[in-house]
Amino acid sequence: MGTITFENVSKTFSGQTEVRALDGISLTIGEGEFVALLGPSGCGKSTLLNLLAGFENTTEGTLLFDGKTVTRPGPDRGVVFQEAALFPWLNVWQNVVFGPQVQGVARADYESKARNLLKLVGLEAFAEALPVQLSGGMRQRVGIARVLAMSPRALLMDEPFGALDAQTRLSMQQLLLDVWQSLGTTVLFVTHDIDEAILLSDRICVMSARPGRIMRTIPIALPRPRSILSLTSPEFVAYKAAIMSDMKVETIS
Amino acid sequence: MSISTERIASKPVASRAPGLVSPIFSPAGRRALRQALLAVVLPAMVIVAWQIAGRDGSLFGGVLPTPDRVWQAWKIWAFGTTGLSLNPYSGTWLANLLFSADRVGKGFVSAILVAVPVGLAIGWNRIASGALDPTVQLLRPIPITAWLPFSIAVFGIRDMGAVFLIALGAFYPIVVNTAQGARDVERNLIRAAMMMGAGRWTILRRVVLPASLPSIFTGLRIGLGIAWTAVIVAEMVAVKSGLGYVLWDAYYVGRMDVVIADMATIGLLGLISDRVILLIERWVLTWRRLQSFQS
Repeated sequence: MGTITFENVSKTFSGQTEVRALDGISLTIGEGEFVALLGPSGCGKSTLLNLLAGFENTTEGTLLFDGKTVTRPGPDRGVVFQEAALFPWLNVWQNVVFGPQVQGVARADYESKARNLLKLVGLEAFAEALPVQLSGGMRQRVGIARVLAMSPRALLMDEPFGALDAQTRLSMQQLLLDVWQSLGTTVLFVTHDIDEAILLSDRICVMSARPGRIMRTIPIALPRPRSILSLTSPEFVAYKAAIMSDMKVETIS
Repeated sequence: MSISTERIASKPVASRAPGLVSPIFSPAGRRALRQALLAVVLPAMVIVAWQIAGRDGSLFGGVLPTPDRVWQAWKIWAFGTTGLSLNPYSGTWLANLLFSADRVGKGFVSAILVAVPVGLAIGWNRIASGALDPTVQLLRPIPITAWLPFSIAVFGIRDMGAVFLIALGAFYPIVVNTAQGARDVERNLIRAAMMMGAGRWTILRRVVLPASLPSIFTGLRIGLGIAWTAVIVAEMVAVKSGLGYVLWDAYYVGRMDVVIADMATIGLLGLISDRVILLIERWVLTWRRLQSFQS
């Protein structure tokens, strides 16, 4: 459950000038695996996630989710957007139960689950609040809770903490680690933050831009369960040094 | 607003018991009072100047009555006895006002019922847009007055003709603004709804419609203004009752005092109905109001 297979997938955006966003992507993600896509902006990592989400169609190649070709978005693949994309006219509770509601799940069947999820993300006191009344981190926690309310087989996260301040980002990373370690859902996590990729994932796919390709795959063997304290371990620093030299991140001076 | 209570505690004015503080003395109350006073200044100045400029109750050699004469005429129009009075307008104000308001209400509601679904369809669906939008844009430049002969020919001198013109006039701004709102819905909101398993119909009802409401309300306010224009035009020509009919009739018999009282009545009704829409908007779009307060 939750296995993802990209077989030689390419994506070209047609228009006045054709853009080859992805070129020959082959990637297999196993059940319960946490994979990070790491790369500079414009390298097509979000496009790759949008293909899997079903928001865009592949130009070439095969894209399978649990053995079936991906054709459209669906609640089996929960997407967490960078800006949360909550419905601003619905309060926190209504946002979280939107998925089960539109799928016709009976109220009795989603209510206690949604309540537990709000507790899990620490927002039980904010059920009546509107998104505009929340901080960025709180909004993103709602975004995670509403996706979990659908019990997806995979979580697709598109730079979900990219817009948050450093401290909030750390607490969100801790929250995600806790949630994932208890649920074991497959996660595809897009980020440009090397620390974040190492801290969270089992495997990092480093991407290069134009056309977007997976340059290198790096397994991260840091012990689980992890916490944000893992950021200070010598193994972590060794991974970071290796990836930085790989990505040719250079210091100026 | 309820924000006043906390601030008041730190101000010397409020050292008395809280129960004695009337709303006028709270900052919000004072602000509201000041706004109300500001609003009255300009009309009051115009009326006073107009009154002073007049001689023997009129301006421009008897053409334009002064405000006191208008007020006298208005009182008789509103509260005079009906029936055997020599004044044909005596006591008919409320009845005519209700005739007009009823037509505006019927026409405006019909316009909303058609324009909102059509606007959502144009903004949301490419086929609907291709099929409907060009026709709407072709008909839109035709002014309401140009539809008068058509309306009278089809509906005769009856209520229906006026309601048709009002509905038509209010239709365009509502449909255009609704379509714009539906077109501008944030892409990720649609994607989020699709990701959660919502079908097209659910997305239209639960995402596109609420996301378009701010634009829809803009359309409603413009449309209502046009509805009041249309009712007066229609009543001047196409029916024998209402404020527009009285306006034209009074002009023909030289009762400029009634004409001006009639104009003031139209203005007041337009103002009040616009405020009603604003109140509904504030209530429906709480999320939007909070957004603009905080940004």
